[in-house]
Amino acid sequence: MASLSEEVLLVVKRVRQRKQDGTLYLMAERIAWGPEGKDRFTVSHLYADIRCQKISPDGKAKVQLQLVLHTGESSTFHFANVSTALKDRDATKELLQQLLPRFKKKANKELEEKNRMLQEDPVLFQLYKDLVVSQVISAEEFWANRLSLSSVDHSLSNNNKQEVGISAAFLADIRPQTDGCNGLRYNLTSDIIESIFRTYPTVKQKYAENVPHNLTEKEFWTHFFQSHYFHRDRLNTGQQDIFSECAKQDEKGLKSMVTQGVKNPMVDLLALEDKTLDEGYGTAAAPSTSNVTKTLRENSNCAIIKRFNHHSAMVLAAGLRKVEACSDQTSETSSTDGNSRDSDLFQPPLKKVKLQEAIEYDDLQSDCRRKPISLNLKKSDRYSHGPVPLQSQPYTSSQDILNSIGVIQHEMKSYKPRLTQVMSSSAASSAITALSPGGVLMQGGSQQTVNQLVPSDVQSELKHLYTAAGELLRHFWTCFPVNTLFLEEKVVKMQSNLERFQLTKLRPFQEKIQRQYLSANLTGHLEEMLQAAYSKFQAWQSRRMTRKT
Amino acid sequence: MKLNIDGLLVYFPYDYIYPEQYSYMLELKRTLDAKGHGVLEMPSGTGKTISLLSLIVAYQTTFPLEVTKLIYCSRTVPEIEKVVEELRKLIDYYAKETGAKSNFLALALSSRKNLCIHPEVSSLRFGKEVDGKCHSLTASYIRAQRHSNPAQPVCKFYEEFDAVGRQVPIPSGIYNLDDLKDFGRRKGWCPYFLARYSILHANIVVYSYHYLLDPKIADLVSKELAKKSVVVFDEAHNIDNVCIDSMSVNITRRTLDRSQANVETLQNTINRIKETDAAKLKEEYKRLVEGLKEANVARETDVYLSNPVLPDEILKEAVPGSIRTAEHFVGFMKRFLEYLKSRLRIHHVVQESAPQFLKDIFEKVCIDRKPLRFCAERLRSLLRTLEIADIADFSAITLISHFATLVSTYSKGFTIIIEPFEDRTPTIANPVLHFSCMDPSIAIKPVFGRFQSVIITSGTLSPLDIYPRILDFRPVTVASFTMTLARTCLCPLIVGRGNDQVAMTSKFETREDFAVIRNYGNLLLEMSAIVPDGIVAFFTSYVYMENIVASWYEQAILENIQRNKLIFIETQDAAETSMALEKYQEACENGRGAILLSVARGKVSEGIDFVHHFGRAVIMFGVPYVYTQSRILKARLEYLRDQFQIRENDFLTFDAMRHAAQCVGRAIRGKTDYGLLIFADKRYARADKRGKLPRWIQEHLTDGSLNLTIDETVQLSKHFLRQMAQPFRREDQLGLSLLTLEQLQSEDMLQKIAQIAQQA
Repeated sequence: MASLSEEVLLVVKRVRQRKQDGTLYLMAERIAWGPEGKDRFTVSHLYADIRCQKISPDGKAKVQLQLVLHTGESSTFHFANVSTALKDRDATKELLQQLLPRFKKKANKELEEKNRMLQEDPVLFQLYKDLVVSQVISAEEFWANRLSLSSVDHSLSNNNKQEVGISAAFLADIRPQTDGCNGLRYNLTSDIIESIFRTYPTVKQKYAENVPHNLTEKEFWTHFFQSHYFHRDRLNTGQQDIFSECAKQDEKGLKSMVTQGVKNPMVDLLALEDKTLDEGYGTAAAPSTSNVTKTLRENSNCAIIKRFNHHSAMVLAAGLRKVEACSDQTSETSSTDGNSRDSDLFQPPLKKVKLQEAIEYDDLQSDCRRKPISLNLKKSDRYSHGPVPLQSQPYTSSQDILNSIGVIQHEMKSYKPRLTQVMSSSAASSAITALSPGGVLMQGGSQQTVNQLVPSDVQSELKHLYTAAGELLRHFWTCFPVNTLFLEEKVVKMQSNLERFQLTKLRPFQEKIQRQYLSANLTGHLEEMLQAAYSKFQAWQSRRMTRKT
Repeated sequence: MKLNIDGLLVYFPYDYIYPEQYSYMLELKRTLDAKGHGVLEMPSGTGKTISLLSLIVAYQTTFPLEVTKLIYCSRTVPEIEKVVEELRKLIDYYAKETGAKSNFLALALSSRKNLCIHPEVSSLRFGKEVDGKCHSLTASYIRAQRHSNPAQPVCKFYEEFDAVGRQVPIPSGIYNLDDLKDFGRRKGWCPYFLARYSILHANIVVYSYHYLLDPKIADLVSKELAKKSVVVFDEAHNIDNVCIDSMSVNITRRTLDRSQANVETLQNTINRIKETDAAKLKEEYKRLVEGLKEANVARETDVYLSNPVLPDEILKEAVPGSIRTAEHFVGFMKRFLEYLKSRLRIHHVVQESAPQFLKDIFEKVCIDRKPLRFCAERLRSLLRTLEIADIADFSAITLISHFATLVSTYSKGFTIIIEPFEDRTPTIANPVLHFSCMDPSIAIKPVFGRFQSVIITSGTLSPLDIYPRILDFRPVTVASFTMTLARTCLCPLIVGRGNDQVAMTSKFETREDFAVIRNYGNLLLEMSAIVPDGIVAFFTSYVYMENIVASWYEQAILENIQRNKLIFIETQDAAETSMALEKYQEACENGRGAILLSVARGKVSEGIDFVHHFGRAVIMFGVPYVYTQSRILKARLEYLRDQFQIRENDFLTFDAMRHAAQCVGRAIRGKTDYGLLIFADKRYARADKRGKLPRWIQEHLTDGSLNLTIDETVQLSKHFLRQMAQPFRREDQLGLSLLTLEQLQSEDMLQKIAQIAQQA
């Protein structure tokens, strides 16, 4: 069962499960336990299946670890090695703690995704009911094709999904607790670490530089909490501190943000005043020239205020920062200094818009027409011509198009019907009768349509049958050309699925409509489709036979 | 719609109208008819600007001989631009309705920094640099030098304008700052000088207060504006401070040192010129004998600050002999500087009046009053004669000369205070001479005297009677308009106690109290949990805010607030604050919500609007009294008491309340807007404070919301916010706070409207 190539991350001996001694293995994707002296696992769980782990409280005689699965089952391991039980258990716990979240997300995401698709698409849901619930095909088969099919829009929808922002108070959530002996304990969760990294890219950079070559993760965070960087009143950032650089970079970021100025002219306080008083005029006391007068306390207050502004700006920027933008070299600078918006080159229009907004009284206007969203084109030329192939090709410029329109208009104006060459009126009217409902050429259309003939419940049933058959047939036809072993297997299976479908679904339906004395050829088309598939299968099989022999 | 305002056909560019707008226009019309001045208070967001513009433009078109020009003064550049855009809307409407293209010319004027299109000069960041650089390219003698030396760089935009720009007047239309720049670029003309030239024949000029109130600039820019103009001061609640600021001078030791250096430079230049070009100085002397009139034909490009005093009779006199020659004048200035230096060498505070100062200076260094009066004018002339290129370097000596002129001209309304050190740091010597104007009417008097109608208007002018008193004029109309509301979209609450019943107040004795600070923190925390989007909180001063923020941080209150909203804080650095403001708006925009901690009397409280979701609640922590220990303020209060019979306390409360109202009013910018206005100080509940709030706030202040605890506030706020979140449609407003033309014409509506205006 266990493939040999699996990487074993941790082996814990002398672990009991159901009163049996054995060994616990933690592997890359699953956790497994095998009884002593046997080379197979009796317990094996994928990490993705595990909902959570529980441990027995400290001080209990039995040192245990329980895994609870999504299905609700659980398995308990008892660490029986007297001397190292606790250590073993903690090691296992730690490792699991790191591993589980990774798989959890994946599993959940998949499940969520499936759920979402079913909820959003009633047709798909019906199909699911028809095929999976009635066990025509298995759930995996159903999804295997679906998920990959929708992978395109799947990724799209993933991008469109709003990213979860960061709580502004994430640093406050790390409540330091005294551990009783002159120390502080900080509780860090992966969420908080994520928040720190996203808000302060410089810390992430430091982390990447130092962990694990220079420092362990734990040491890194200890340093972090000890550093002045973490503490708001960063006054004397010592040189030895690895975070002093971060502080400097932050400072720089803040400065660049400030010098960049603001885009919205309505909030630009620098440009507010039209004419400032010259130096020396006015009643307001001139700003004291010396900074000596500022006390230390005032300075630290200033630092706190600055820090809050910076923190909020960073949090705001982190929420807006795109994941891919981070990897992008060009946007690196803009993303680390907390400036979240793309530089727009359209300053004057923005100003106009803001001014217009400011003077608008929407209740005085007669109709509040919705403002249309204006199209923002980088290259308007490309928009009007569409993508143009690179090789030189005679393509029509807008001038040509305009010219030709002009020519056509001209022709239209000067158009004169040549009355001598038209059809005779009798021929025309006979053509019209032939084409009207009931006419010679409209014979096919004279049949009444299905929705007039058949009661609605039968209709909807027929619809479901069509979608189900369509789905199965799609599966079937996608197997061709059959060039792998897997596809061969699949095509055989699909063939049997089709037959089963015909037997369990189509037949009863046919009988039902016969009972209701409806025209039997309602299902004719379905039968035809199935027949086509069968004959394809037959052809393929006979060819295979001949090839084999 | 077309309105009939007391017999005047007024085009109003909207299909609906607020009743108070109609009422406002009626009062305005009466003021214009009487050719008098007016004080009109109407809450912001009720379309004050468009009402003003509609009526005055209509008046101008109907009676072109009565009112020739509208001079619209506003405070900030964005405000100016907004006014021009509203005007554009109005004129477009005129064109649409009448079918004829109007020949209206309206333009905005701003400083060079906002109008320059010279590639090098406009790239400079600070206004002063731009002015200096511009001057070095366009000053009259620089251009004269170019005749002999073609290599001399000049501004080609100005040259072009000077050559052809004056012959053809600018085509009629509405020119905002950007439009002027576009036009200038197209023609290759300098937009700044074009605008300054064009205001003379424009129908409407929009610019900032300073161009009219600051005599140093007003003389240069607005001197030739027609008498038959209507002047509007919008957002005028602070106009007295603008007036005072423009007339006050501070002299520090640094100023004196720099002036000293300036005088040295002047001396050297004079000596050099004497050797090379003595004729030039002779000519100047001759000119000065003939009087200053000649010298006063100022070339428009010269940015020398003009004489700070206006009286014409001085200009007709000849410059006194003692300072007529250049050397004598420099010697005179040296003497004056030495005297000032000796005055700054003191160890105790000195306060004296202008006559006392003059007496002392005559006794000590024998400087007479008369030559002092001519100081500014004489220096201007000298600087021009000496062809000093970089005027900015001479700002110190210019300041001193202005001081000399002012102190010798006005015997009343000013005070001189010499402080040897700052109050906070008594050990560090930092002597300052404050020459402080105490009477705002001095600066604004010429405006009232010159123009036939001056309208002072704002959202917060209460109590209305105080402005005519401190500005010393007699208005023909004084009125306050309320905001008619279909739903009470503002909810003023006075929070006086914490949940622990400890009184909340920023009173000096208790402001450092731990319980008060904690309660303030709890209030903000509770509000941050229930108010959607943006909250703006104002503190009474910057230092106070710093302290509170620090202790909130220590008490982990800020951390808890951060769980609800992002926090942004105003700093003393304007660029940093702009950044914080923008981020704040961004956070409100994307739904995160944010809190802005700000300061009353700060830049944010004066110039930034928090419309709709940018400000769903405003919290005013404490009563924003001005720092009362300052000697300048004390002197001013004394003056107010003696001259205008305004009691100190009345004025202080008035000043505090107008700033508080200004702060909380930032959040309500229209009838579809809504917001909580929270006054967090128990003192607001007192009648003397409450009574000084604008009428449109007072009206909604019920007795039940006077002394609330934090919990009660939260309950009331929740209720209010839930109500306001309901959809609000036009039908709800129609007939109550929004009128169609038919509704407006009905008899009982007109009766109702008559009650909107409350005459003071």
